[in-house]
Amino acid sequence: MKKVPDWLNSSLWSSVASPSDRISPYDSKSTTAAAPHPATEPPAPVLPPSVVREEPPELEPVSPSNDRGDDENVRPERPSAEDISRQSLLLAELSKKVINIGELRRITSQGLPDGSGIRSAVWKLLLGYLPPDRGLWLSELAKKRLQYQNFKTELLMNPSEITRKMDKSTVSGNDEMKSTSGELSRSDLTGGEHPLSLGETSVWNKFFQETEIIEQIDRDVKRTHPDMHFFSGDSLDAKANQEALKTVLTIFAKLNPGIRYVQGMNEILAPLYYVFRNDPNEGYAASAEADSFFCFVELLSGFRDNFCKQLDNSVVGIRSTITRLSEMLKQHDEELWRHLEITTKVNPQFYAFRWITLLLTQEFNFADSLHIWDALLSDPEGPQETVLRVCCAMLILVRRRLLAGDFTSNLRLLQNYPSTNIAHLLYVANKLRSTP
Amino acid sequence: MVLVLALGDLHIPHRAPDLPAKFKSMLVPGKIQHIICTGNLCIKEVHDYLKTLCPDLHIARGEYDEDSRYPETKTITIGQFKVGLCHGHQVIPWGDLDSLAMLQRQLDVDILVTGHTHQFTAYKHEGGVVINPGSATGAHSSITYDVNPSFILMDIDGLRVVVYVYELIDGEVKVDKIDFKKTTATTAN
Repeated sequence: MKKVPDWLNSSLWSSVASPSDRISPYDSKSTTAAAPHPATEPPAPVLPPSVVREEPPELEPVSPSNDRGDDENVRPERPSAEDISRQSLLLAELSKKVINIGELRRITSQGLPDGSGIRSAVWKLLLGYLPPDRGLWLSELAKKRLQYQNFKTELLMNPSEITRKMDKSTVSGNDEMKSTSGELSRSDLTGGEHPLSLGETSVWNKFFQETEIIEQIDRDVKRTHPDMHFFSGDSLDAKANQEALKTVLTIFAKLNPGIRYVQGMNEILAPLYYVFRNDPNEGYAASAEADSFFCFVELLSGFRDNFCKQLDNSVVGIRSTITRLSEMLKQHDEELWRHLEITTKVNPQFYAFRWITLLLTQEFNFADSLHIWDALLSDPEGPQETVLRVCCAMLILVRRRLLAGDFTSNLRLLQNYPSTNIAHLLYVANKLRSTP
Repeated sequence: MVLVLALGDLHIPHRAPDLPAKFKSMLVPGKIQHIICTGNLCIKEVHDYLKTLCPDLHIARGEYDEDSRYPETKTITIGQFKVGLCHGHQVIPWGDLDSLAMLQRQLDVDILVTGHTHQFTAYKHEGGVVINPGSATGAHSSITYDVNPSFILMDIDGLRVVVYVYELIDGEVKVDKIDFKKTTATTAN
């Protein structure tokens, strides 16, 4: 077995969040002063980072953003020169007539600023909801939002209303209960529809089948981010947000009979809706539901197969994706891979399933997961590929603890991943790219 | 959109062994919100079966019911409608519209559901609507053997009611509907 190189054992790889690690993620570029590393040549392909984190140049005020109860995505308030320049770069790019998506991806991969609606606009662009040509934005948005409204009116009608619409032509003569006495006339059914119908195409039958799904959606939405006032609690806003989430998921389920609703989709929708709803532009915030529906569809299209039970064991299913993660870990850090999977027998399905299918929304606090999503969405390889690299990086960052642990402690660690410096995590993930 | 099942005069086990299979396959739990039963079940097992379809069960006493604790008449409010329930053997002449209208005025209901004649009928008069769901098993009545199994399902949606009539004719289930509306909303009393 290879001796662990010293550089790999350095505290850089430690995941324990020390106060010095709480610097703004955008500081990565400014600390390029490299203290000399233990000079052994790294045998593994992972290059030692040139960034030294032991002595941060300025200690940012420790923000409360790690606290799960904070909704406002408060990050260290003092923007560095880095931040300002990145923000102005973004604004410059966004105000162009035709936005260069490739350029946008490049800038976004280093992180987006919170607030000022930048993230809302950028995510919409990256997911293809907004076209790169600014001139088309108004018409596209109007079209899509109208489409969503139509979905709502069509799909959320209960069967009584549907059948009433179907037989609008045959206005019954039995309107007034106070008019003539006598036998009530019986009429034929419209389209053979009756509530106890067991027919495949019956609106009533479909309605009852979907009731179960809607109940499941309802339960899951109520459990989404219970610690955040935005999503949970008795306030009118929280209730309205929950309703919006439910409607989006219900319409998705009705439009996609092949996949319906699977637990976890609510977690994928939540960040999208949150970001769009908190857009400072009032018009955009009001249409957050419609916008997040289309972006949700777009985001999910890349990895629908993860949610389809029948495909679990296929080449495109979740099992094969998890295997790829395993391979990636083996390729970059064979010692850790061996210890994890063979020695301590921690099957990656135990932890990676949630990491991958929910795009890491459950592993970090909300603010951090938004930053991770910036990287996931901006990467040209797509969220599905990028998340694998980030997962691999997550494993490597805690390698010391994993190597020292047994099955129970490793599993516990990975299922409750410790909070960590996101910028560092993304940096390492970036390094794992398989570019030749 | 409230679904209310109305049926009765099953006469199980004396005159019929069970509901027709085609009816039973349609009556599944989870779809119906209320059941009103005109009576003459006659035994507890039928009561239990109906209870599995829907927990909210209302029964009026028929002359052959073995459980004597069912009430003679019952009034239920469902949505905007007041529904009255009575077996109907008490109203003489049996099945007579005017006499039933008297009962309806007495109970002060919009829709009166009665049975006993084992014939489906639906009448409208000044006071409201009188409906007889017939016999769900097709059991013979005191008057005739020529009985088609039938029951009804009411879809109460605001001020509108759609009554779906399910009849078993020559072994096939035939479904019709009757549409009617109320003019004014019920005042809460």
